[in-house]
Amino acid sequence: MKLRTIFLAPGAVIMLSLFFLPLLVVLAYSFLSRGPYGGVLLPWSAESYTRIFDSLYLAILWRSVWIAAVATGICLALAFPLALYIARAGERKTLLLNLVMLPFWTSFLIRTYAWMFLLRDTGLINTALQSLHVIREPLPLLFNTGAVILGLVYGYLPFMVLPLYATLEKLEPALLDAAADLGASPLVTVWRVVVPLSRPGMIAGCLLVFIPCLGAYLTPDLMGGGKTVMIGNLVQNQFTTARDWPFGAAISLLLMGLVLLVMRALGDKGEELL
Amino acid sequence: MNRRIFLLGVTGALAGCTRTSERRLNVYNWENYIAASTIPDFEREFRCTVRYATYGSAEELLAKVFSGNSGWDVVFPSNSFVQPMRELDLLLTLDHQQLPNLKNLDARFQRPEWDPHLAVCVPYMHSATGILYAKAVTPTPLAWADLWTDSYSRRVTMLDDPAEMFAACLKRLGASVNSTDESQLKAARDLAIKQKPLLRAYLNEEVRDQVVAGDVLVAQMWAQVGQVAIDNAHGLAFAFPQEGFPLYADNSVILRESKHQELAYSFINYLLRPEVAAKIAEEMRTATANGAARALLPSAQRDNTVLYPTAEVLARGEWFKALPGVAQRLRDRYWTEIKSS
Amino acid sequence: MKRFLPAYACAAYLFLYLPLLALGVFSFNSSKIAVWHGFTLDWYSSVFHNAALMEGTLNSLIIALVATAAATVIGTLAAYALWQKRSSWLTGSLYLSLLSPEIVTGVSLLVFFQWVFHFLKLQLGMHTVILAHISFSLAYVVIVVLARLQTFDRSLEEAAADLGATSWQTFRHVTAPLLLPGIVAAALLCFTVSFDDYVITSLVAGVNSETLPMIIYAMARKGVSPEVNALSVMITVGLGSLVLISGRLESKR
Repeated sequence: MKLRTIFLAPGAVIMLSLFFLPLLVVLAYSFLSRGPYGGVLLPWSAESYTRIFDSLYLAILWRSVWIAAVATGICLALAFPLALYIARAGERKTLLLNLVMLPFWTSFLIRTYAWMFLLRDTGLINTALQSLHVIREPLPLLFNTGAVILGLVYGYLPFMVLPLYATLEKLEPALLDAAADLGASPLVTVWRVVVPLSRPGMIAGCLLVFIPCLGAYLTPDLMGGGKTVMIGNLVQNQFTTARDWPFGAAISLLLMGLVLLVMRALGDKGEELL
Repeated sequence: MNRRIFLLGVTGALAGCTRTSERRLNVYNWENYIAASTIPDFEREFRCTVRYATYGSAEELLAKVFSGNSGWDVVFPSNSFVQPMRELDLLLTLDHQQLPNLKNLDARFQRPEWDPHLAVCVPYMHSATGILYAKAVTPTPLAWADLWTDSYSRRVTMLDDPAEMFAACLKRLGASVNSTDESQLKAARDLAIKQKPLLRAYLNEEVRDQVVAGDVLVAQMWAQVGQVAIDNAHGLAFAFPQEGFPLYADNSVILRESKHQELAYSFINYLLRPEVAAKIAEEMRTATANGAARALLPSAQRDNTVLYPTAEVLARGEWFKALPGVAQRLRDRYWTEIKSS
Repeated sequence: MKRFLPAYACAAYLFLYLPLLALGVFSFNSSKIAVWHGFTLDWYSSVFHNAALMEGTLNSLIIALVATAAATVIGTLAAYALWQKRSSWLTGSLYLSLLSPEIVTGVSLLVFFQWVFHFLKLQLGMHTVILAHISFSLAYVVIVVLARLQTFDRSLEEAAADLGATSWQTFRHVTAPLLLPGIVAAALLCFTVSFDDYVITSLVAGVNSETLPMIIYAMARKGVSPEVNALSVMITVGLGSLVLISGRLESKR
């Protein structure tokens, strides 16, 4: 047996048994009927799928896409100047990059909790503003869609900076000099030279941010105070409170389908970078 | 290759460590339902080890034990979950011979609605849902209808629980908390959607600390949790709404899958001892269903009307019931609509 | 422009670190509310006295170590094989696994385990959590090692082959040692991801496998808790040091 086959075998077995097979079971479950208190029963039925095309669930789907898109957009806008700065920072590049990645290395849950600590009514921001007499009543900074978007942007910012940096770093300084020589102001240079050239990085970054945001569960749950329902929350709900496993399975597959779609649309360009 | 075999071995050994040992009991309970010394005393007396873990919602419990293969021995479902669990064949039929302390139960719980012969469950703690509020607010919220107002500047929360949310709305409409009538549920849903902009968030027990801290002024809350909040802060009070409110009781049951039935019986019997139950009730400020234990409590707690409402107040209460599948689906759908509106 | 970028970068770093710094500062606060009252180390000591917290940490460590060891080995071997010759289905499925939402992965594993348990009479527990962690960490390892392999000089392998080495010997004595920094980086990434995981773990955990994130989540939902602040600071410093140390080691080579 070739060495390559032996090396490949364990990984292939794991992917088959712990990734594909579970998805197959989910597929099967999505075509079954709901048990009275959870679980699945025969008969086979496609009811779960027809239910998805209900305005309620489509609205949730749309909201998730919208929130994920906004978060991705904000992430891109925030990360671009930062990545540009790091790419041109000379010897301190690695240090600066590591500093960006460091929060990512710590717990996502803890970072979300940290924002809750800052934003709640008796949290740091409100207490500080009140003691400085800038406001009288605490601002409702937490438990709304804005807080959810903030949480998502904060959580995934490093994922946007990294690919952007990788592309921007390879940018030839000569190109920028040429643009300056031709009379372009720095802003114009950035807009018309740098941005188009960093497309691969932008696409990879958007891929790495949009998809997790789409399937976000923890952030809307904690930062949204249970009032913002995204697809991730809907799936979780079906497997706990609502006890409608077939429907939960169908929505999970729908989410996977969306992910595949986005990957196909943006993925070819992004994969090179990954 | 060798490294991989070694690793597989380690994993296997670790998995083996987690296998149940001889004298071991796995108990899954609500938070705050046990005193600090209850488990150690039990372990000492019966020479065993108890694995004690907690959950925050009845759905969480059902989701875990649903497979019939969860590893838990004794769990504490709410009364409206006892019948479904029974139908799913998850519960062991109780042998009363092994539970001599059953006689200590309060008269009210000797023949409960959800299990008149105590065939599968033993009532443990009971309470009701009402309104926890800061005394300084105006107007004083004494009815569910008072929670549909803007006067609390959005510092109001409701429970993140469909049954409770519907109970509040249905009572406001003058219907039963267990209503399965579609038009009533629709009206309840519309009420809830109308209320959503006035709310801070949907939170369960976790809001207790926020009420204590003054973050939240008015909260739909369980009476037991409310009492703990009242103990921890000045100026809080609890109201049982005028229109009526839901009652619930958490019951101990033994899962049919349990491999430690003898220990499970001992544990439940142990919890039924007056001194033990009294200690828990006193320390955790919960309302025990054990009449003999209640008699042992200091009078301030025994006669506390938040924990043990008067008969007049109780008359407005209504026990939660398990609902038929169709009604449950309708409620689930409306709950999703409310949450995502 | 010249002045804008540095100023912007400062603001950006502040944004990134503000919450963690706030947590850190207030973990020493002797009052529970967000107003500075006095310095204290009480919250840190109460963390160590919290038995549930300690047990959760131990569980998390065991799971992370075992899953990292397994995933790193399996992933490195797979990455090497993929580098030799591409396999589009495996690579594609690894990317999909990397990008698939945690809730979907968690739910599919839960459903799968429950289905298997019909036949095997097992229960959810440490083993299911470890298996779950291995399955989602694999993609991380493969990607990191593969990226490292892309910069590898194939001629070294060819030279070894010319000198008569078998494929296994080539791998073991030539490629693998040079790959070590990449493998270490992958292992570190794997460990962090596994230690931090909440969503998937909470769905497939069983009776005796409560992990630290699960406990933190329960405490965080409760709201005000300086203990969580102290714990968060300790975890952040711990993981952060691991990263910095490994970075130092790598640059030393």
